[in-house]
Amino acid sequence: MAANALNDLRNNWELIFAPAIENASAAMSAWTNGDVSLALDEVREVEVEEVAAALDLTDELSTMVLLGIGGAMGGQLILSFDRDNACRLIASLLNREVDRDEAWNELEISALQETGNILSSAYLNAITALTGRRLWPSPPTVTEDYAMSVVGQAVMTQALTEDRVLLCRTRFSRLGQRVEWNLIFVPSPELLQLLREMAATL
Amino acid sequence: MTATLTTRRPETTVGMGQIAVLTGDERASAVLGSCVGVAIYDETKKLGALAHVVLPTSAGRPGTPGKFVDTAITWMLNELRSRGADPRKLRCKLTGGATMFAANGPFQIGQQNIDATRQALAAANVRIVAEHLGGAKGRRITFECDAFTIVVESAGETSVTL
Repeated sequence: MAANALNDLRNNWELIFAPAIENASAAMSAWTNGDVSLALDEVREVEVEEVAAALDLTDELSTMVLLGIGGAMGGQLILSFDRDNACRLIASLLNREVDRDEAWNELEISALQETGNILSSAYLNAITALTGRRLWPSPPTVTEDYAMSVVGQAVMTQALTEDRVLLCRTRFSRLGQRVEWNLIFVPSPELLQLLREMAATL
Repeated sequence: MTATLTTRRPETTVGMGQIAVLTGDERASAVLGSCVGVAIYDETKKLGALAHVVLPTSAGRPGTPGKFVDTAITWMLNELRSRGADPRKLRCKLTGGATMFAANGPFQIGQQNIDATRQALAAANVRIVAEHLGGAKGRRITFECDAFTIVVESAGETSVTL
């Protein structure tokens, strides 16, 4: 593909995702009293073998909030951070100290779940407005696992039929400093096809 | 078709769709979800290979040999034979194949990968001597070539050595 055409496609993908990120950022800012915001980092299609490198995933354990995408077209949303960042988020939401070496209690887990809920609802509302297809997040699940293994499985639904998968990478800031959070949006093949058609006509 | 092949390093990270060939005291690691880690080994030669396979069948699709079960196992067997391995002495250990989302959903890739791997190994007369498969959690595996051991780590669980 010629460089100009590739740049056009990237810009179109960014136009598709910018409203979703903007919505999610406003919702996160409200939820965290202005502490956390997010911005679109990059949208691109990569070979399935390149996913880990493209998202800077390591073989360390991560804390993740997993949400399925309900509606006529599915997919997955994964919010991931390391345990230290998860503890800082919980501490700021509950306004109390959180011991990183202790298992989280129900309230602490629900603070993470609610964060995933708020973020994903705002994100999917914008995608719904864009596509005209109603999408909503499933109840969130909090897990500690290898991000590489979870993301690897999430992209499998695309990899079954596609040689390249779409990755939308988001940059998070907390109190004005970049933090190592990741929001990974993996549309189903049907939703990806719809988004591709929309990107091509922009 | 070319493989992503890495040799002569103390520890190699084997990413999705990659295959590492190991000798002597070399080690290789991988993080697996629904993917399957296929380790094939000739104990006499202290020669092994670890593939991080992603999908059950190539069905003519392009990609590195390590991406699909059928092409990965064919490539590994050819490569090990070309390096002097005795096909009659090859043994295999399998890991991975988890189902991390929607255990009753339509995309049971982990189980499909497991089934396809077992079938391909049986067709090639390679005996499976140990396995750590399925479940709902990811795994970090480390393949130590000289002893043909695989250390399996999962979040919140004691590590297991195969």
